[in-house]
Amino acid sequence: MIYTTIVWMALPFFLGFAIYLLPQLDRLLALAMVLTSGIYAGQILSGGSSFNLQLLDHFGVTLTIDQLSGFFILTNALVTGAVLLYCWGSEKTSFFYMQAIILHGSVNATFICADFISLYVALEVISIAAFLLIAYPRTDRSIWVGLRYLFVSNTAMLFYLVGAVLVYQAHHSFNFAGLRGSPPEAVALIFLGLLVKGGIFVSGLWLPLTHSESETPVSAMLSGVVVKAGIFPLVRCALMLEEIDPIVRIFGVGTALLGICCAIPEQDTKRTLAFSTVSQLGFILAAPTVAGFYALTHGLVKSALFLIAGVLPSRNFQQLQHQPIKNSISIALVIASFSISGFPLLSGFGAKVLTSKNYLPWQVIVMNLAALGTAICFAKFIFLPSQKIWEKGKLRSDLWAAMMILLGGLIAANGFYYQAYTLQNIIKPLTTIALGWVVYLFIVKKWVIKLPRGVEEFDHLIGMMAVMLIIIFWMVRV
Amino acid sequence: MLEACIFATALCGFFGIFLKKNLVMKIISMDIMSTGVIAYYVLVASRDGLFTPIAGKANTGAYSDPVPQAVILTAIVIGLSIQALMLVGVMKLAKDNPTLETKTIEENNTP
Repeated sequence: MIYTTIVWMALPFFLGFAIYLLPQLDRLLALAMVLTSGIYAGQILSGGSSFNLQLLDHFGVTLTIDQLSGFFILTNALVTGAVLLYCWGSEKTSFFYMQAIILHGSVNATFICADFISLYVALEVISIAAFLLIAYPRTDRSIWVGLRYLFVSNTAMLFYLVGAVLVYQAHHSFNFAGLRGSPPEAVALIFLGLLVKGGIFVSGLWLPLTHSESETPVSAMLSGVVVKAGIFPLVRCALMLEEIDPIVRIFGVGTALLGICCAIPEQDTKRTLAFSTVSQLGFILAAPTVAGFYALTHGLVKSALFLIAGVLPSRNFQQLQHQPIKNSISIALVIASFSISGFPLLSGFGAKVLTSKNYLPWQVIVMNLAALGTAICFAKFIFLPSQKIWEKGKLRSDLWAAMMILLGGLIAANGFYYQAYTLQNIIKPLTTIALGWVVYLFIVKKWVIKLPRGVEEFDHLIGMMAVMLIIIFWMVRV
Repeated sequence: MLEACIFATALCGFFGIFLKKNLVMKIISMDIMSTGVIAYYVLVASRDGLFTPIAGKANTGAYSDPVPQAVILTAIVIGLSIQALMLVGVMKLAKDNPTLETKTIEENNTP
Protein backbone atom coordinates (compact mmCIF):
# COMPACT_ATOMS: atom_id res chain seq x y z
CA MET A 1 0.00 0.00 0.00
CA ILE A 2 2.92 2.32 0.71
CA TYR A 3 4.31 2.02 -2.79
CA THR A 4 0.85 2.32 -4.32
CA THR A 5 0.38 5.56 -2.43
CA ILE A 6 3.65 7.05 -3.56
CA VAL A 7 3.14 6.02 -7.18
CA TRP A 8 -0.42 7.30 -7.13
CA MET A 9 0.70 10.63 -5.64
CA ALA A 10 3.39 11.19 -8.24
CA LEU A 11 1.42 9.89 -11.21
CA PRO A 12 -0.63 13.05 -11.98
CA PHE A 13 2.53 15.14 -12.28
CA PHE A 14 4.12 12.66 -14.69
CA LEU A 15 0.91 12.37 -16.64
CA GLY A 16 0.54 16.14 -16.67
CA PHE A 17 3.82 16.52 -18.50
CA ALA A 18 3.12 13.46 -20.63
CA ILE A 19 -0.04 15.18 -21.80
CA TYR A 20 2.01 18.11 -22.96
CA LEU A 21 4.31 15.81 -24.90
CA LEU A 22 1.50 13.71 -26.38
CA PRO A 23 -1.29 16.20 -26.99
CA GLN A 24 -3.37 13.66 -28.95
CA LEU A 25 -3.90 11.57 -25.84
CA ASP A 26 -4.72 14.47 -23.53
CA ARG A 27 -8.27 13.60 -22.54
CA LEU A 28 -7.64 9.86 -22.30
CA LEU A 29 -4.60 10.27 -20.05
CA ALA A 30 -6.45 12.72 -17.85
CA LEU A 31 -9.40 10.39 -17.53
CA ALA A 32 -7.11 7.46 -16.74
CA MET A 33 -5.60 9.47 -13.89
CA VAL A 34 -9.00 10.32 -12.49
CA LEU A 35 -10.03 6.65 -12.65
CA THR A 36 -6.87 5.68 -10.77
CA SER A 37 -7.71 8.19 -8.03
CA GLY A 38 -11.25 6.89 -7.86
CA ILE A 39 -10.10 3.29 -7.47
CA TYR A 40 -7.52 4.31 -4.87
CA ALA A 41 -10.16 6.21 -2.86
CA GLY A 42 -12.52 3.25 -3.14
CA GLN A 43 -9.83 0.99 -1.75
CA ILE A 44 -9.24 3.24 1.25
CA LEU A 45 -12.93 3.65 1.97
CA SER A 46 -13.78 -0.04 1.59
CA GLY A 47 -10.74 -1.29 3.48
CA GLY A 48 -11.25 1.18 6.29
CA SER A 49 -7.49 1.12 6.71
CA SER A 50 -5.54 4.07 7.97
CA PHE A 51 -1.82 4.35 8.04
CA ASN A 52 0.98 6.83 8.50
CA LEU A 53 3.96 7.16 6.27
CA GLN A 54 7.16 8.73 7.45
CA LEU A 55 9.64 9.41 4.69
CA LEU A 56 13.10 10.24 6.02
CA ASP A 57 13.48 11.37 9.60
CA HIS A 58 11.21 13.29 11.98
CA PHE A 59 11.70 16.40 9.86
CA GLY A 60 10.89 14.62 6.60
CA VAL A 61 7.66 14.23 4.69
CA THR A 62 4.80 12.72 6.69
CA LEU A 63 1.68 11.33 5.06
CA THR A 64 -1.49 10.19 6.78
CA ILE A 65 -4.13 8.27 4.88
CA ASP A 66 -7.43 7.35 6.50
CA GLN A 67 -11.18 7.37 5.98
CA LEU A 68 -11.30 11.17 6.00
CA SER A 69 -8.75 11.49 3.19
CA GLY A 70 -10.60 8.73 1.35
CA PHE A 71 -13.77 10.83 1.20
CA PHE A 72 -11.90 13.92 0.02
CA ILE A 73 -9.96 11.99 -2.63
CA LEU A 74 -13.18 10.42 -3.89
CA THR A 75 -14.73 13.90 -4.17
CA ASN A 76 -11.73 15.09 -6.10
CA ALA A 77 -11.85 12.14 -8.49
CA LEU A 78 -15.58 12.45 -9.18
CA VAL A 79 -15.55 16.22 -9.67
CA THR A 80 -12.48 16.22 -11.90
CA GLY A 81 -13.91 13.32 -13.89
CA ALA A 82 -17.19 15.15 -14.42
CA VAL A 83 -15.39 18.31 -15.47
CA LEU A 84 -13.25 16.35 -17.96
CA LEU A 85 -16.35 14.78 -19.49
CA TYR A 86 -18.00 18.20 -19.62
CA CYS A 87 -15.05 19.54 -21.62
CA TRP A 88 -14.78 16.43 -23.81
CA GLY A 89 -16.32 17.91 -26.93
CA SER A 90 -15.10 21.46 -26.37
CA GLU A 91 -12.13 22.98 -28.12
CA LYS A 92 -9.91 23.11 -25.07
CA THR A 93 -6.24 22.61 -25.83
CA SER A 94 -4.09 20.02 -24.15
CA PHE A 95 -2.71 22.82 -21.95
CA PHE A 96 -6.07 22.93 -20.18
CA TYR A 97 -6.07 19.20 -19.49
CA MET A 98 -2.49 19.32 -18.32
CA GLN A 99 -3.27 22.04 -15.78
CA ALA A 100 -6.46 20.27 -14.72
CA ILE A 101 -4.60 17.06 -14.00
CA ILE A 102 -1.77 18.82 -12.15
CA LEU A 103 -4.39 20.62 -10.11
CA HIS A 104 -6.04 17.26 -9.42
CA GLY A 105 -2.72 15.81 -8.28
CA SER A 106 -1.79 18.68 -6.02
CA VAL A 107 -5.23 18.71 -4.41
CA ASN A 108 -4.82 14.98 -3.78
CA ALA A 109 -1.47 15.68 -2.19
CA THR A 110 -3.00 18.09 0.32
CA PHE A 111 -5.49 15.41 1.30
CA ILE A 112 -2.81 12.99 2.42
CA CYS A 113 0.00 15.10 3.79
CA ALA A 114 0.43 15.56 7.51
CA ASP A 115 3.25 18.06 7.81
CA PHE A 116 3.29 21.76 7.21
CA ILE A 117 5.91 21.94 4.52
CA SER A 118 4.50 19.31 2.15
CA LEU A 119 1.19 21.05 2.67
CA TYR A 120 2.78 24.39 1.77
CA VAL A 121 4.25 23.00 -1.44
CA ALA A 122 0.96 21.36 -2.43
CA LEU A 123 -1.01 24.53 -1.74
CA GLU A 124 1.36 26.64 -3.80
CA VAL A 125 1.17 24.24 -6.72
CA ILE A 126 -2.60 24.53 -6.44
CA SER A 127 -2.34 28.33 -6.61
CA ILE A 128 -0.25 28.21 -9.76
CA ALA A 129 -2.35 25.59 -11.53
CA ALA A 130 -5.58 27.34 -10.55
CA PHE A 131 -4.22 30.67 -11.78
CA LEU A 132 -3.38 29.17 -15.15
CA LEU A 133 -6.83 27.63 -15.41
CA ILE A 134 -8.59 30.86 -14.44
CA ALA A 135 -6.51 32.85 -16.91
CA TYR A 136 -7.03 30.25 -19.66
CA PRO A 137 -9.34 32.46 -21.81
CA ARG A 138 -6.56 35.12 -21.85
CA THR A 139 -8.99 38.00 -21.58
CA ASP A 140 -8.12 41.02 -19.46
CA ARG A 141 -10.79 40.17 -16.95
CA SER A 142 -9.73 36.57 -16.52
CA ILE A 143 -6.10 37.60 -16.08
CA TRP A 144 -7.02 40.17 -13.46
CA VAL A 145 -9.22 37.71 -11.56
CA GLY A 146 -6.45 35.13 -11.67
CA LEU A 147 -3.81 37.63 -10.62
CA ARG A 148 -5.94 38.72 -7.70
CA TYR A 149 -6.34 35.10 -6.63
CA LEU A 150 -2.63 34.39 -6.89
CA PHE A 151 -1.77 37.56 -4.98
CA VAL A 152 -4.15 36.89 -2.12
CA SER A 153 -3.18 33.26 -1.74
CA ASN A 154 0.54 33.91 -2.00
CA THR A 155 0.42 36.63 0.65
CA ALA A 156 -1.52 34.29 2.92
CA MET A 157 1.02 31.55 2.34
CA LEU A 158 3.84 33.88 3.39
CA PHE A 159 2.14 34.31 6.77
CA TYR A 160 1.71 30.56 6.87
CA LEU A 161 5.44 30.02 6.29
CA VAL A 162 6.33 32.16 9.30
CA GLY A 163 3.92 30.08 11.36
CA ALA A 164 5.48 26.87 10.09
CA VAL A 165 8.98 27.89 11.14
CA LEU A 166 7.72 28.83 14.59
CA VAL A 167 6.32 25.31 14.93
CA TYR A 168 9.67 23.92 13.83
CA GLN A 169 11.47 26.07 16.36
CA ALA A 170 9.36 24.64 19.16
CA HIS A 171 9.52 20.96 18.18
CA HIS A 172 12.22 20.46 15.54
CA SER A 173 9.55 18.88 13.37
CA PHE A 174 6.96 20.18 10.92
CA ASN A 175 4.35 17.59 11.83
CA PHE A 176 0.73 18.76 12.36
CA ALA A 177 0.91 17.41 15.91
CA GLY A 178 3.54 20.07 16.64
CA LEU A 179 0.79 22.67 16.77
CA ARG A 180 0.30 21.62 20.37
CA GLY A 181 2.82 23.39 22.54
CA SER A 182 3.71 25.91 19.85
CA PRO A 183 3.42 29.60 20.67
CA PRO A 184 -0.03 31.10 19.94
CA GLU A 185 1.35 33.28 17.15
CA ALA A 186 2.37 30.14 15.26
CA VAL A 187 -1.18 28.79 15.41
CA ALA A 188 -2.60 32.18 14.41
CA LEU A 189 -0.30 32.56 11.40
CA ILE A 190 -0.88 29.02 10.12
CA PHE A 191 -4.61 29.33 10.57
CA LEU A 192 -4.68 32.64 8.74
CA GLY A 193 -3.02 31.01 5.74
CA LEU A 194 -5.41 28.07 5.72
CA LEU A 195 -8.52 30.17 6.29
CA VAL A 196 -7.67 32.45 3.39
CA LYS A 197 -6.84 29.51 1.17
CA GLY A 198 -10.05 27.74 2.13
CA GLY A 199 -12.25 30.80 1.68
CA ILE A 200 -13.56 30.92 5.24
CA PHE A 201 -15.35 33.86 6.86
CA VAL A 202 -14.26 37.42 5.98
CA SER A 203 -10.86 36.26 4.79
CA GLY A 204 -12.68 34.21 2.16
CA LEU A 205 -14.29 37.17 0.42
CA TRP A 206 -11.93 36.78 -2.53
CA LEU A 207 -13.85 33.63 -3.40
CA PRO A 208 -17.14 34.94 -4.86
CA LEU A 209 -15.57 37.00 -7.63
CA THR A 210 -12.97 34.36 -8.49
CA HIS A 211 -15.45 31.52 -8.67
CA SER A 212 -18.13 33.46 -10.49
CA GLU A 213 -15.93 35.05 -13.14
CA SER A 214 -14.03 31.90 -14.11
CA GLU A 215 -15.19 29.70 -16.94
CA THR A 216 -17.89 27.16 -16.07
CA PRO A 217 -15.72 24.01 -15.80
CA VAL A 218 -13.05 25.90 -13.87
CA SER A 219 -15.52 27.29 -11.35
CA ALA A 220 -16.95 23.81 -10.91
CA MET A 221 -13.52 22.51 -10.05
CA LEU A 222 -12.57 25.45 -7.84
CA SER A 223 -15.78 25.32 -5.84
CA GLY A 224 -16.04 21.54 -5.83
CA VAL A 225 -12.60 20.54 -4.65
CA VAL A 226 -9.93 23.22 -4.67
CA VAL A 227 -11.26 25.21 -1.70
CA LYS A 228 -11.39 21.95 0.25
CA ALA A 229 -7.62 21.81 0.06
CA GLY A 230 -7.59 24.68 2.56
CA ILE A 231 -10.35 23.12 4.66
CA PHE A 232 -8.84 19.67 4.97
CA PRO A 233 -5.78 20.60 7.07
CA LEU A 234 -8.01 22.60 9.43
CA VAL A 235 -10.24 19.57 9.90
CA ARG A 236 -7.22 17.33 10.36
CA CYS A 237 -5.75 19.64 13.02
CA ALA A 238 -9.11 19.92 14.78
CA LEU A 239 -9.33 16.13 14.95
CA MET A 240 -5.78 15.74 16.20
CA LEU A 241 -5.78 18.46 18.84
CA GLU A 242 -8.86 19.08 20.90
CA GLU A 243 -7.79 22.62 21.87
CA ILE A 244 -7.97 23.64 18.20
CA ASP A 245 -11.42 22.11 17.76
CA PRO A 246 -13.50 24.99 19.24
CA ILE A 247 -11.73 27.59 17.07
CA VAL A 248 -12.46 25.60 13.92
CA ARG A 249 -16.07 25.18 14.96
CA ILE A 250 -16.49 28.91 15.66
CA PHE A 251 -15.16 29.76 12.21
CA GLY A 252 -17.44 27.12 10.72
CA VAL A 253 -20.51 28.69 12.30
CA GLY A 254 -19.41 32.22 11.38
CA THR A 255 -18.76 31.44 7.74
CA ALA A 256 -21.97 29.39 7.40
CA LEU A 257 -23.99 32.39 8.50
CA LEU A 258 -22.00 35.03 6.63
CA GLY A 259 -22.05 33.12 3.36
CA ILE A 260 -25.75 32.48 3.39
CA CYS A 261 -26.60 36.07 4.36
CA CYS A 262 -24.72 37.26 1.28
CA ALA A 263 -26.13 34.52 -0.95
CA ILE A 264 -29.82 35.19 -0.34
CA PRO A 265 -30.09 38.74 -1.73
CA GLU A 266 -27.67 38.05 -4.59
CA GLN A 267 -29.21 38.45 -8.07
CA ASP A 268 -26.53 36.66 -10.06
CA THR A 269 -26.68 32.86 -10.33
CA LYS A 270 -22.97 32.14 -10.23
CA ARG A 271 -22.33 34.59 -7.41
CA THR A 272 -25.14 33.01 -5.41
CA LEU A 273 -23.49 29.63 -5.88
CA ALA A 274 -20.10 31.02 -4.88
CA PHE A 275 -21.46 32.58 -1.68
CA SER A 276 -23.26 29.35 -0.94
CA THR A 277 -19.89 27.59 -1.20
CA VAL A 278 -18.57 29.94 1.51
CA SER A 279 -21.50 28.95 3.67
CA GLN A 280 -21.34 25.20 2.96
CA LEU A 281 -17.67 25.13 3.89
CA GLY A 282 -18.88 26.30 7.28
CA PHE A 283 -21.02 23.17 7.59
CA ILE A 284 -17.94 21.08 6.88
CA LEU A 285 -15.93 22.85 9.58
CA ALA A 286 -18.75 22.96 12.11
CA ALA A 287 -18.53 19.22 12.71
CA PRO A 288 -14.96 18.09 11.97
CA THR A 289 -15.60 14.45 12.93
CA VAL A 290 -17.92 13.88 9.98
CA ALA A 291 -16.41 16.42 7.61
CA GLY A 292 -15.55 13.84 4.94
CA PHE A 293 -19.09 12.87 4.02
CA TYR A 294 -20.33 16.44 3.93
CA ALA A 295 -17.40 17.46 1.76
CA LEU A 296 -18.22 14.65 -0.66
CA THR A 297 -21.86 15.62 -1.07
CA HIS A 298 -21.08 19.32 -1.26
CA GLY A 299 -18.37 18.80 -3.87
CA LEU A 300 -20.70 16.78 -6.08
CA VAL A 301 -23.67 19.07 -5.78
CA LYS A 302 -21.80 22.34 -6.14
CA SER A 303 -19.93 21.31 -9.26
CA ALA A 304 -23.20 20.02 -10.74
CA LEU A 305 -24.86 23.36 -9.98
CA PHE A 306 -22.00 25.34 -11.51
CA LEU A 307 -22.07 23.21 -14.66
CA ILE A 308 -25.83 23.71 -14.98
CA ALA A 309 -25.57 27.45 -14.30
CA GLY A 310 -23.16 27.58 -17.22
CA VAL A 311 -25.85 26.48 -19.70
CA LEU A 312 -28.68 28.66 -18.37
CA PRO A 313 -29.71 31.37 -20.84
CA SER A 314 -28.86 34.20 -18.44
CA ARG A 315 -26.98 34.79 -15.23
CA ASN A 316 -29.52 37.17 -13.76
CA PHE A 317 -32.43 35.81 -11.73
CA GLN A 318 -34.76 38.63 -12.84
CA GLN A 319 -34.19 37.76 -16.48
CA LEU A 320 -34.47 34.04 -15.84
CA GLN A 321 -37.95 34.64 -14.40
CA HIS A 322 -39.08 35.77 -17.85
CA GLN A 323 -36.96 33.38 -19.85
CA PRO A 324 -38.10 29.77 -19.37
CA ILE A 325 -35.37 27.15 -19.32
CA LYS A 326 -35.46 23.71 -20.88
CA ASN A 327 -37.35 21.06 -18.96
CA SER A 328 -34.48 18.57 -18.89
CA ILE A 329 -32.03 21.14 -17.53
CA SER A 330 -34.56 22.29 -15.02
CA ILE A 331 -34.94 18.73 -13.68
CA ALA A 332 -31.21 18.41 -13.11
CA LEU A 333 -31.18 21.84 -11.47
CA VAL A 334 -34.03 20.92 -9.15
CA ILE A 335 -32.42 17.60 -8.14
CA ALA A 336 -29.17 19.37 -7.26
CA SER A 337 -30.96 22.15 -5.38
CA PHE A 338 -33.00 19.61 -3.44
CA SER A 339 -29.87 17.77 -2.42
CA ILE A 340 -28.12 20.85 -1.12
CA SER A 341 -31.21 21.89 0.84
CA GLY A 342 -31.21 18.44 2.47
CA PHE A 343 -34.18 16.74 0.86
CA PRO A 344 -34.49 12.98 1.63
CA LEU A 345 -33.52 10.42 -1.07
CA LEU A 346 -30.47 12.49 -1.98
CA SER A 347 -27.27 12.24 -0.01
CA GLY A 348 -27.34 15.91 0.96
CA PHE A 349 -29.98 14.77 3.43
CA GLY A 350 -27.76 12.11 5.00
CA ALA A 351 -24.88 14.57 5.23
CA LYS A 352 -27.03 17.21 6.92
CA VAL A 353 -28.41 14.68 9.43
CA LEU A 354 -25.00 13.27 10.20
CA THR A 355 -23.51 16.74 10.66
CA SER A 356 -26.35 17.93 12.86
CA LYS A 357 -25.83 14.92 15.14
CA ASN A 358 -22.29 16.11 15.78
CA TYR A 359 -22.97 19.73 16.66
CA LEU A 360 -22.15 21.02 20.08
CA PRO A 361 -25.16 22.48 21.94
CA TRP A 362 -24.20 26.10 21.25
CA GLN A 363 -23.96 25.49 17.52
CA VAL A 364 -27.40 23.99 16.98
CA ILE A 365 -29.53 27.14 16.67
CA VAL A 366 -27.16 28.99 14.39
CA MET A 367 -26.58 26.02 12.12
CA ASN A 368 -30.31 25.40 11.82
CA LEU A 369 -30.68 29.04 10.79
CA ALA A 370 -27.98 28.52 8.19
CA ALA A 371 -29.78 25.40 6.92
CA LEU A 372 -32.97 27.45 6.64
CA GLY A 373 -30.99 30.06 4.73
CA THR A 374 -29.74 27.39 2.34
CA ALA A 375 -33.32 26.31 1.68
CA ILE A 376 -34.35 29.93 0.99
CA CYS A 377 -31.37 30.47 -1.25
CA PHE A 378 -31.93 27.40 -3.39
CA ALA A 379 -35.66 28.07 -3.64
CA LYS A 380 -34.47 30.74 -6.07
CA PHE A 381 -33.26 27.95 -8.36
CA ILE A 382 -36.14 25.56 -7.74
CA PHE A 383 -38.84 28.09 -8.66
CA LEU A 384 -37.35 29.14 -11.96
CA PRO A 385 -39.94 28.71 -14.73
CA SER A 386 -39.34 25.94 -17.23
CA GLN A 387 -41.07 24.68 -20.35
CA LYS A 388 -40.66 22.17 -23.13
CA ILE A 389 -38.28 23.53 -25.70
CA TRP A 390 -37.30 21.37 -28.64
CA GLU A 391 -33.94 22.26 -30.00
CA LYS A 392 -32.80 20.38 -33.03
CA GLY A 393 -29.42 18.73 -33.09
CA LYS A 394 -28.02 20.59 -30.10
CA LEU A 395 -27.92 17.79 -27.60
CA ARG A 396 -25.39 18.56 -24.90
CA SER A 397 -24.23 14.99 -24.36
CA ASP A 398 -21.14 16.25 -22.48
CA LEU A 399 -23.25 17.99 -19.91
CA TRP A 400 -25.38 14.90 -19.38
CA ALA A 401 -22.37 12.63 -19.00
CA ALA A 402 -21.09 14.95 -16.27
CA MET A 403 -24.53 15.09 -14.65
CA MET A 404 -24.73 11.28 -14.64
CA ILE A 405 -21.56 11.12 -12.57
CA LEU A 406 -22.42 13.95 -10.19
CA LEU A 407 -26.11 13.36 -9.62
CA GLY A 408 -25.66 9.58 -9.77
CA GLY A 409 -22.94 9.99 -7.15
CA LEU A 410 -25.33 12.02 -5.02
CA ILE A 411 -27.88 9.21 -5.03
CA ALA A 412 -25.31 6.44 -4.60
CA ALA A 413 -23.64 8.25 -1.68
CA ASN A 414 -26.79 7.59 0.33
CA GLY A 415 -25.27 4.18 0.94
CA PHE A 416 -22.60 5.64 3.22
CA TYR A 417 -25.17 6.63 5.81
CA TYR A 418 -28.46 4.88 5.20
CA GLN A 419 -29.18 4.89 8.98
CA ALA A 420 -30.34 8.48 8.51
CA TYR A 421 -33.72 7.35 7.21
CA THR A 422 -35.88 7.47 10.31
CA LEU A 423 -39.18 9.32 10.53
CA GLN A 424 -37.84 11.86 13.00
CA ASN A 425 -34.86 12.67 10.83
CA ILE A 426 -36.99 13.07 7.72
CA ILE A 427 -39.52 15.47 9.23
CA LYS A 428 -36.97 18.06 10.32
CA PRO A 429 -35.43 18.86 6.91
CA LEU A 430 -38.84 18.79 5.28
CA THR A 431 -40.11 21.47 7.67
CA THR A 432 -36.92 23.47 7.12
CA ILE A 433 -37.38 23.33 3.36
CA ALA A 434 -41.08 24.16 3.55
CA LEU A 435 -40.36 27.11 5.83
CA GLY A 436 -37.59 28.25 3.50
CA TRP A 437 -39.92 28.17 0.50
CA VAL A 438 -42.57 30.15 2.34
CA VAL A 439 -40.04 32.80 3.29
CA TYR A 440 -38.78 32.87 -0.29
CA LEU A 441 -42.17 33.13 -1.98
CA PHE A 442 -43.59 35.77 0.33
CA ILE A 443 -40.59 37.87 1.25
CA VAL A 444 -37.33 37.27 -0.57
CA LYS A 445 -38.80 37.06 -4.07
CA LYS A 446 -40.03 40.64 -3.86
CA TRP A 447 -36.80 42.00 -2.47
CA VAL A 448 -34.38 43.93 -4.54
CA ILE A 449 -31.37 44.57 -2.37
CA LYS A 450 -27.95 45.24 -3.73
CA LEU A 451 -25.18 44.43 -1.32
CA PRO A 452 -22.19 46.74 -1.52
CA ARG A 453 -19.17 45.04 -3.03
CA GLY A 454 -16.58 47.37 -1.55
CA VAL A 455 -15.19 44.74 0.80
CA GLU A 456 -14.27 42.58 -2.16
CA GLU A 457 -11.79 45.15 -3.45
CA PHE A 458 -8.24 43.91 -3.62
CA ASP A 459 -6.74 46.26 -1.04
CA HIS A 460 -9.43 45.40 1.48
CA LEU A 461 -8.85 41.69 0.98
CA ILE A 462 -5.21 42.09 1.92
CA GLY A 463 -5.97 44.47 4.77
CA MET A 464 -8.55 42.05 6.10
CA MET A 465 -5.77 39.50 6.59
CA ALA A 466 -4.16 41.73 9.21
CA VAL A 467 -7.48 42.09 11.02
CA MET A 468 -8.10 38.35 10.88
CA LEU A 469 -4.61 37.66 12.17
CA ILE A 470 -5.33 39.75 15.27
CA ILE A 471 -8.71 38.08 15.79
CA ILE A 472 -7.30 34.56 15.51
CA PHE A 473 -4.37 35.43 17.74
CA TRP A 474 -6.77 36.69 20.36
CA MET A 475 -8.91 33.57 20.05
CA VAL A 476 -5.95 31.22 20.39
CA ARG A 477 -4.68 33.16 23.39
CA VAL A 478 -7.95 32.89 25.33
CA MET B 1 17.55 43.01 17.24
CA LEU B 2 18.07 40.99 14.09
CA GLU B 3 14.66 39.44 14.60
CA ALA B 4 13.05 42.87 14.90
CA CYS B 5 14.69 43.99 11.65
CA ILE B 6 13.43 40.89 9.88
CA PHE B 7 9.89 41.41 11.08
CA ALA B 8 10.10 45.06 10.09
CA THR B 9 11.07 43.98 6.57
CA ALA B 10 8.17 41.57 6.33
CA LEU B 11 5.74 44.17 7.68
CA CYS B 12 7.02 46.85 5.29
CA GLY B 13 6.37 44.46 2.44
CA PHE B 14 2.91 43.64 3.74
CA PHE B 15 1.93 47.29 4.05
CA GLY B 16 3.34 47.96 0.62
CA ILE B 17 1.01 45.35 -0.85
CA PHE B 18 -2.07 47.32 0.01
CA LEU B 19 -0.76 50.86 0.26
CA LYS B 20 1.04 51.03 -3.08
CA LYS B 21 -1.25 51.79 -6.00
CA ASN B 22 0.77 50.45 -8.90
CA LEU B 23 0.51 46.77 -9.66
CA VAL B 24 4.23 46.30 -10.24
CA MET B 25 4.98 48.02 -6.94
CA LYS B 26 2.61 45.64 -5.24
CA ILE B 27 4.49 42.68 -6.67
CA ILE B 28 7.79 44.14 -5.52
CA SER B 29 6.30 44.66 -2.06
CA MET B 30 5.31 41.03 -2.00
CA ASP B 31 8.87 40.12 -2.89
CA ILE B 32 10.11 42.22 0.03
CA MET B 33 7.72 40.44 2.34
CA SER B 34 8.96 37.08 1.16
CA THR B 35 12.55 38.26 1.65
CA GLY B 36 11.65 38.94 5.26
CA VAL B 37 10.18 35.48 5.66
CA ILE B 38 13.21 33.82 4.08
CA ALA B 39 15.54 35.78 6.32
CA TYR B 40 13.55 34.60 9.31
CA TYR B 41 14.09 30.98 8.31
CA VAL B 42 17.80 31.60 8.02
CA LEU B 43 17.77 33.25 11.44
CA VAL B 44 15.96 30.29 13.00
CA ALA B 45 18.46 27.94 11.38
CA SER B 46 21.37 29.82 12.89
CA ARG B 47 20.11 29.72 16.47
CA ASP B 48 22.35 26.79 17.41
CA GLY B 49 25.43 27.83 15.53
CA LEU B 50 26.77 29.58 12.49
CA PHE B 51 28.90 26.94 10.79
CA THR B 52 27.80 25.45 7.52
CA PRO B 53 26.49 21.96 8.22
CA ILE B 54 28.94 20.00 6.06
CA ALA B 55 30.58 16.90 7.50
CA GLY B 56 34.35 17.26 7.58
CA LYS B 57 37.45 16.80 9.66
CA ALA B 58 37.25 20.02 11.59
CA ASN B 59 34.49 19.37 14.05
CA THR B 60 33.47 22.69 15.53
CA GLY B 61 30.17 21.49 16.92
CA ALA B 62 28.22 24.70 16.51
CA TYR B 63 26.52 23.82 13.24
CA SER B 64 23.50 25.68 11.98
CA ASP B 65 20.36 23.65 11.44
CA PRO B 66 20.14 22.48 7.80
CA VAL B 67 16.41 21.68 7.81
CA PRO B 68 14.93 25.21 7.70
CA GLN B 69 17.48 26.16 5.07
CA ALA B 70 16.55 23.21 2.90
CA VAL B 71 12.88 23.97 3.35
CA ILE B 72 13.18 27.64 2.53
CA LEU B 73 15.04 26.76 -0.66
CA THR B 74 11.81 25.21 -1.91
CA ALA B 75 9.88 28.28 -0.87
CA ILE B 76 12.32 30.56 -2.69
CA VAL B 77 11.90 28.62 -5.90
CA ILE B 78 8.12 28.66 -5.58
CA GLY B 79 8.14 32.39 -4.82
CA LEU B 80 10.30 33.03 -7.85
CA SER B 81 8.02 31.09 -10.19
CA ILE B 82 4.92 32.80 -8.83
CA GLN B 83 6.47 36.19 -9.34
CA ALA B 84 7.47 35.31 -12.88
CA LEU B 85 3.91 34.20 -13.56
CA MET B 86 2.49 37.40 -12.07
CA LEU B 87 4.78 39.60 -14.12
CA VAL B 88 3.66 37.82 -17.29
CA GLY B 89 0.07 38.53 -16.27
CA VAL B 90 0.96 42.17 -15.64
CA MET B 91 2.59 42.40 -19.07
CA LYS B 92 -0.64 41.22 -20.69
CA LEU B 93 -2.68 43.67 -18.62
CA ALA B 94 -0.32 46.54 -19.46
CA LYS B 95 -1.45 46.51 -23.09
CA ASP B 96 -4.85 47.90 -22.20
CA ASN B 97 -3.98 49.59 -18.92
CA PRO B 98 -0.64 51.27 -19.50
CA THR B 99 -0.58 53.02 -16.11
CA LEU B 100 -1.17 49.73 -14.23
CA GLU B 101 -3.14 51.53 -11.52
CA THR B 102 -4.86 48.78 -9.57
CA LYS B 103 -7.97 50.89 -9.00
CA THR B 104 -8.65 51.41 -12.70
CA ILE B 105 -7.89 47.82 -13.63
CA GLU B 106 -10.26 46.69 -10.92
CA GLU B 107 -13.01 49.04 -12.07
CA ASN B 108 -12.67 47.91 -15.68
CA ASN B 109 -12.68 44.25 -14.85
CA THR B 110 -15.31 43.69 -12.19
CA PRO B 111 -18.95 43.33 -13.22
